[in-house]
Amino acid sequence: MVGLSLGEKHFIQGGIAQDLRCDGRKRLTYRPIYVETGVIPQANGSARVRMGATDVIASVKAELGKPNPFQPDKGKVSIFVDCSPTAAPTFEGRGGEELSTELSAALHRCLLGGKSGAGAGIDLSSLVVVEGKICWDLYIDGLVVSSDGNLLDALGAAIKAALSNTGIPRVSVAASAPGDDEPEVDISDEEFLQFDTSGVPVIVTLTKVGKHYIVDATTEEESQMSSAVSISINRQGHICGLTKRGGAGVDPSIILDMISVAKHVSEQLLNQLDSEIAAAEAVNEES
Amino acid sequence: MGLPNVSGDFSSEMDVDAFRRLFPLRFYERHLVESIRPDARPLGRARDTTLALGAVTSTDGSALAKIGLTTMLAAIKMEVMTPSIETPDEGCIAIDFHMPPICSPLVRPGRPAEAEPVVSKQLCDTILSSGMINMKELSLISGKAAWMAYLDIYCLDADGALFDAALLSAVAAFSHLQIPVVSMNDDGRVVIISEEHQEGKDPVNKEKRKLTLSSIPFSLTSILHKKYILADPTAEEESIMDTLVTVVLDSSGRLVSLYKPGGTVLAYTSAIQDCIALTRQRVKELRNILDEAVSGMEVD
Amino acid sequence: MAGKAGATPTTYAPSPTTQKTKSLVFKNDDVDWVRPDKRGFQQCRPAFFRTGAVNAASGSAYAEFGNTKVIVSVFGPRESKKAMMYSDVGRLNCNVSYTTFATPIRGQGSDHKEFSSMLHKSLEGAIILETFPKTTVDVFALILESGGSDLPVVISCASVALADAGIMMYDLVASVSVSCIGKNLIIDPILEEESCQDGSLMITCMPSRYEVTQLTVTGEWSAPKISEGVQLCLDACSKLAKIMRSCLKESASSLEE
Repeated sequence: MVGLSLGEKHFIQGGIAQDLRCDGRKRLTYRPIYVETGVIPQANGSARVRMGATDVIASVKAELGKPNPFQPDKGKVSIFVDCSPTAAPTFEGRGGEELSTELSAALHRCLLGGKSGAGAGIDLSSLVVVEGKICWDLYIDGLVVSSDGNLLDALGAAIKAALSNTGIPRVSVAASAPGDDEPEVDISDEEFLQFDTSGVPVIVTLTKVGKHYIVDATTEEESQMSSAVSISINRQGHICGLTKRGGAGVDPSIILDMISVAKHVSEQLLNQLDSEIAAAEAVNEES
Repeated sequence: MGLPNVSGDFSSEMDVDAFRRLFPLRFYERHLVESIRPDARPLGRARDTTLALGAVTSTDGSALAKIGLTTMLAAIKMEVMTPSIETPDEGCIAIDFHMPPICSPLVRPGRPAEAEPVVSKQLCDTILSSGMINMKELSLISGKAAWMAYLDIYCLDADGALFDAALLSAVAAFSHLQIPVVSMNDDGRVVIISEEHQEGKDPVNKEKRKLTLSSIPFSLTSILHKKYILADPTAEEESIMDTLVTVVLDSSGRLVSLYKPGGTVLAYTSAIQDCIALTRQRVKELRNILDEAVSGMEVD
Repeated sequence: MAGKAGATPTTYAPSPTTQKTKSLVFKNDDVDWVRPDKRGFQQCRPAFFRTGAVNAASGSAYAEFGNTKVIVSVFGPRESKKAMMYSDVGRLNCNVSYTTFATPIRGQGSDHKEFSSMLHKSLEGAIILETFPKTTVDVFALILESGGSDLPVVISCASVALADAGIMMYDLVASVSVSCIGKNLIIDPILEEESCQDGSLMITCMPSRYEVTQLTVTGEWSAPKISEGVQLCLDACSKLAKIMRSCLKESASSLEE
């Protein structure tokens, strides 16, 4: 809950209408994005993303598992987001649970594509070691350390950065009888396979305040929203997932317009993010 | 009457609905004196009962039972298990009773209703002890594979006499049960034979598609209040008068179970015998309803 | 509760794993294949609604679309939980659960958290919450049998149940989903089609006001395809709303008699 006076509310709404927001940004400008990678040494990949006062950490852990019998040629990915009580007092106890499930479900929808696996940002078939028997299970954990709006975009960016930081150990399979259910494997601790993240989409959330939409809303701005649409878009400009927040009804043509705006914004965001990730990786290698 | 006669003074000038809410017990007692109940039933009569078989197509057997407004949906799913060493040629039945939040304003999500485990246990005891199902019929390959019948009963609308309706739906679901034809595949797993590709496999259970139900249990719950016995109570009646007696008889009239969980009325044996007599009549009705439902299925 | 003393043994469903052969049927990119229930690509299943399914509730509805069968009960407006803070608008509380036998493989019958929150988001924009301050309206859904497009059916059924309970709404809420399989868009998919879809798009809207309250997209879509899917769903929603409205009219006129 954000306690705002009537004057403050008018100030935010009026500013957005005039394309000049409280922190001097235009409607479609992001806050500066800071990316750090490799923040958690135990994980296979990790990254921390800051946008203004919003601060999130994502980590990727890879474990060997058994593929789903219905999809023997695919690995498994699970995404879980935790909202730390330090981020906001409302997250204490079970308070953050609802937001956590909502964010996890939205990320799942935006990154993993349809049921058949088409349109997935993460190539699940690259995770298979032995078809039907062994595959990598990726556990992606997001942690919200500090929250000042736009959590979904930040988490999406952090996961993208964490995945490009991820090295999956090379696995060699010992030759075994074909009927063997658990072939012996040898996990190399020197050779790592780099994860291909070119297909991982970015998430752009457009928040509708009054008649206009803004990107990267702060908590104060989010409190004034009538509805928000989160759209994940990949390099090819294809939409990989979409979720709407806020119950208010929106005319279908506005949604379609929001999609085209988001597409435009996503190109800049992708480029900016890619260069930030590359810079962060370079820093990592130097140290 | 035990209470001072306060309400009597108002009753002449008060709206009937208001009187019913403010003095529910006196409202009922006035009816009982005339040997009638607010829903126009005589004391010993149960509400209209209907049965529909095959309500859920994704299961192996299902039935929807309605007693008055109380609605129960029972469905059976058959799965395969390895029988225990002590009883290598017997299958197993797992019975569960659920009260989802849709059925009553008293049930909230995440907080199971009090009645849920009670009815669940009662159903389990009754069905297993009545000997209705011969566990040997659930065997597939002695020592290797047997059926586990998962019976789940959902209360869709709770308006009293939950156990009676649940038992009726459970029994009906068992009589609707069609056991799938299965065979053993190369991996030692039991699989359903689909009609398209039979692959020359011999089914393990060609003859045993239906269970023979011997001595089917039927029940009637009654309320004891003073000298009155009210058969098949509604939720309102159950909330006002608290002494319940549930009698379960099998189709040949033998007593399967008798359940009187405390209550303020201490019953004489004669009252219990009256309850049993009422149940005996009710069993005849219920048997006809079940027979009709089953024969209706066979015509289709 | 196991029928016998001792630990419950592990069991498995004897249904054959035909998943692979099924997906082959759909995988073709050409337009030749026929849907398993012989419907056209843009043809919805016949919809059936009935109000007053649960008498213990303030309002309720039963909906059946092919094999998808759901019951929704509405309770309230009633007292909010004690721990809740004062609120001058009403609260909406939603819960969706499956029966253990709803799915082809026996499940746990537990609550479906994601559907619950989606149902909440779809309905809250349509209900006039100002009409019941300080109190809560509970919307509980039980999926008796899952036959595909479960969430859209639950949402449409819930709005009929809300109307049956006399809760004030701006408009009925209708919901329809489309699946993208290969190059084709198919509306109101059944379970088999959903299990091998490449993407799906679900719209929840208030047809008379022509407003979308909820939209979710999964899988990879190009912008023109999205607008095609949206239009398809919106048209189907307004047709669905007509069926919902006539069901409500019927029950109201039978009450008068």
